[in-house]
Amino acid sequence: MRILMLTWEFPPMIAGGLAMASYGLVKSLLKAGVEVDLFLPTKEFVYFPLRKEDDADTLPFIMLDEDYQPRKEEVVTKEFKTIEEKMEYLGVTHIPETYYTPALVKEFTNLISTFKTEEIEHRSERSIFENIIINLQGHEDIFKKVQEMAFRAEKLAELTDFDLIHANDWLCYPAGMVVKKMSGKPMIAHIHATEFDRAGGPGDDRIHKIEYSGMLYADQVIAVSKYTAQMIISRYQIDTGKVNIVHNAFSFEKDNNFNKERMFKGPTILFLGRITVQKGPDYFLSVAEKVLKKYPQVRFIMAGTGDMARKILRSSASMKLKNRFLFTGFLNRKQVERVLQVSDIYMLPSVSEPFGIAPLEAMAYGITSIISKQSGVSEVVEHAYKIDFWNVDEMAETLIYLIEHPEECRKVGLLGAHEVKAIQWDKSADKVKKIYQEILDSNRGEIDA
Amino acid sequence: MLNVVFYFQVHQPYRLRHLNVMDIGSDESYFDERLNREVMRKVADKCYLPTNKLMLKLIKKYEGKFKIAYSISGITIDQFKQYYPEVLESFKELAATGCVEFLGETYYHSLSFLYNKDEFLAQVEKHTNLMIQEFGQKPTTFRNTELIYQDRVSDLVFDTGQFNTIITEGVRRVLKWRTPLFAYKNYSRTMNLLLKSYQLSDDIAFRFSDKNWSQYPLTSEKFIKWIDQLTWKNDDNKNQFLNLFMDYETFGEHQWAETGIFDFMEKLPEEVLKHQGLGFANPKDANKLANYQQEPLAFPQAVSWADEERDLSAWLENDMQNNAIETLYELFERVLAKGDPELIEITRKLTTSDHFYYMCTKYFNDGDVHKYFSPYDSPDQAYIYFINALADLEERL
Repeated sequence: MRILMLTWEFPPMIAGGLAMASYGLVKSLLKAGVEVDLFLPTKEFVYFPLRKEDDADTLPFIMLDEDYQPRKEEVVTKEFKTIEEKMEYLGVTHIPETYYTPALVKEFTNLISTFKTEEIEHRSERSIFENIIINLQGHEDIFKKVQEMAFRAEKLAELTDFDLIHANDWLCYPAGMVVKKMSGKPMIAHIHATEFDRAGGPGDDRIHKIEYSGMLYADQVIAVSKYTAQMIISRYQIDTGKVNIVHNAFSFEKDNNFNKERMFKGPTILFLGRITVQKGPDYFLSVAEKVLKKYPQVRFIMAGTGDMARKILRSSASMKLKNRFLFTGFLNRKQVERVLQVSDIYMLPSVSEPFGIAPLEAMAYGITSIISKQSGVSEVVEHAYKIDFWNVDEMAETLIYLIEHPEECRKVGLLGAHEVKAIQWDKSADKVKKIYQEILDSNRGEIDA
Repeated sequence: MLNVVFYFQVHQPYRLRHLNVMDIGSDESYFDERLNREVMRKVADKCYLPTNKLMLKLIKKYEGKFKIAYSISGITIDQFKQYYPEVLESFKELAATGCVEFLGETYYHSLSFLYNKDEFLAQVEKHTNLMIQEFGQKPTTFRNTELIYQDRVSDLVFDTGQFNTIITEGVRRVLKWRTPLFAYKNYSRTMNLLLKSYQLSDDIAFRFSDKNWSQYPLTSEKFIKWIDQLTWKNDDNKNQFLNLFMDYETFGEHQWAETGIFDFMEKLPEEVLKHQGLGFANPKDANKLANYQQEPLAFPQAVSWADEERDLSAWLENDMQNNAIETLYELFERVLAKGDPELIEITRKLTTSDHFYYMCTKYFNDGDVHKYFSPYDSPDQAYIYFINALADLEERL
C-alpha cells in the first residue's frame, strides 16, 4: 500500500502541532509497512519517497526538473551534514504558516449563516471545484503557495504510483483534490484544525470554503478528536458516516531526556505554543497576575512566538509582573526539551484546541498539566486538570493548590507521565491504516460490481 | 564678557547580550563583550582619538585661552582600560594641560537619584575617586546623567559637600523669558546652575550636516556671527556663559569627518578669540566669574536634554521601562544585602540609563534617534533581555 501524503509542515524545520502529528503518523505508518510518498511545499520541486521507518528522519528525496522528470545528478552528488541543512537546501518553510490568518476579514456578522446557505447550493463536483478556484484567489503569499502546490501535485500525480491520497489541513486540500481528479484515486482529508480553531472566531471565509470543499470531495475525513469531529459535523455539515476520529499521540524518542532540572528556585509554570488568540495566552497572563499576588516567587514562562506576543509582553509590564513573567521567543527542539525539564506545571488555556500534542509531551516529562476543556487532548488523558479556558479563577485556584501541595502536584505529574506512555502513534497509525484499507476495499468492490 | 563653555559627554554603556530565558543559570556574562569592544574600538578610532588629538593641539596653540570640559562615565573609563587603553592615555594628556575640567557624575551613568539616594551618592563618590585617580582632579561641577536635573538633585549634590556648580538643559518651560546665558542658582541658592543653550548646541550636534537645514553648511564664521549677535553686549560687564553641551561623539561619529566637523572645530577658537569680549571658560569658573546677583531657578519637575520633550520620557515613560527599573532597584536592595562584590558590580552596570533608553517606544524623529543608538531590533527585545538578566540575577541571590 502506498500513500501520497500531502502536508504543509514537517520536522525538523518546524516543531508545531501539524509537523509533529505528520511526523508521528508517517513514522508509524512506515513501521506498519505502509509506503509514503511525502509531498511538502518546498521551494525546489521535490518529493520524498519514504519506504522504511528511518526515512521519516533522514528524508530521502527525489528532485524534479522543469519537465517534471527526476533530476538524478543532484540527488546523487549533493551531500548534507544535517537534515536541517537538507531541508534548508530544498526550501522548506520555517514559518508556521498553517496558522496564517489573513487580517482581511474584519466584519464577521452573519458570516456563518450565509456560509451555510451557500454550502447547500454547491453539491456537484463542478461547483466544488469552482468553489476552490474562487476561494483560492488572493494576493497573499499563502494562497499563491497553495495554488502552486495544487499545480505541482497535478504533475506529481502522473509521475508516481500510489493507492490513496492523504491531505492534511486546508492548505493541502486543493492539491489533494486535483490529484484525486487526475488519478481517480481515493482521497482522505485529515483535519488537524479548522479555521474556527485557528482564528478564535469565524475567521477567513475563503479558507472555510476550501475546508468545506476538501471534506466534501474527500472519500473519508479524519478528525483528530471528538471535539473536532463535532465541529466538522455541526459547522460544516459533513456527512457523519464519512467522519472518523483518530486521536493524535506522542512518541518518545530514544534520546529524550526526561530528567528534571531546576532553573528557578520557585515553582515554574509553562505556556508552550504559538502566542495567538487560539492558544489563550491572555488567559495565561491573567492567571499569572492572580497567582503572583499570592505567591510572588512563582515564575511564569511564555515559550513561543506569535502575533499576540507584543501585546502580552506589554500587558505583563503594565501589570508590573516584574521579572516573574518571562518570554523565551522561538525555541528549537532542544530548547523545548530543556524548558520542559525545568518546568513544574504546564498550562494549555486554549480557546479552541482540536487536539494539542504539546500537553502530552509535557506530561511525558512528569509535568502536571492544566488543560482547557475545549481541547481534543482532554478526551485522551485522565491525570490532568481540565478547566474551561475562560475560567481564570479556577485555573488560578488550581495553580495555587498545586503550589501549596507540591507532593500532590508531583503525584499527578507522575501518574500523567505513566498514562501518556500508552498514547502511542503506532495505535493511531493502525486506525489510519484500517481506514485506508476500508476505502481501498470498498473502491475495489465498486469496480468489481 | 561672554564665555563659551564647551562640555562634552563621553559615555558608552555595557550593552546586554541577547539573553534568552534558556540561558538563565548558565553563568555566562550578561554583557555583549564582542559588541562592546567593537563599538568602543570603532568610536575611539572615529571620534575619541582624533578629537582628543585636535583638542590637545588647540589647547597648546592658544596657550590656556581655549578650555573644554568632559564628563566621562566610570564604565566608559573601565571600557577604555579593557578595550582601548590608548584612549585613556590621551585623556590623561588633556588633563595635564590644566585647561580641561572633568565633571562629576554617577559612575554608572544611572538614574539612581530617582530610586535610591544612597546608591546615587555611592556612585558619585566612586566616580570622584576615579577622576582623582586617573586625572588628578576632584570634580567641583556636577552633571547628572543626560543632563537630568530637578530641585532634589541639587539637594543631593549639595549634601556631598564637594560640588558648587551643576550643569543642565536650558529648557524654555523653566527659563521662560530668561536667557540661558547667565549663571543662575538652584532653588535653594546653594549651587550655581549653568544652562545649555540648546539652539546653538544642537546646530553643531544635530544639524551640522543636515542638507535640508536652511543654514547648511555651517561655518565657524557664521557660527561666531550668531554668537556675536546674542544680546550679551547690553549687559555691561556681566560675565555670561554660552553653554555648548553635546555628546563628544558628535565629532567624527554622529557627524562624520567628511562633513567637515573637525575643520569647523579647529577654526572655532581662533574666531572666538578674535572677538573682544569673547572667550572660553570651564564650568567651574562660573563660581568666581559670576559677578552679579544670580537668580534662583526652581525645577520642580525633572528636565533632561533628551528628545523634544526634554524630560524623563526617553527612559521612564512606558510600562516596560517602569517595570524594568522598579524591579531592578527592588532587587538591588537584596543584592547589597547579600554583599557579593561581583553581583553588586553586575547590578550596578544594569543601572545604566541606556538600558531603559533602548526600551523607549516614542515614535517619529525621536524614535529614530532611539533606534539609531539601540543595539536591538525593538524596544520589546531590549526589555526581554533586561528582564531575563534580572531573573538570572535573582536566582543567584
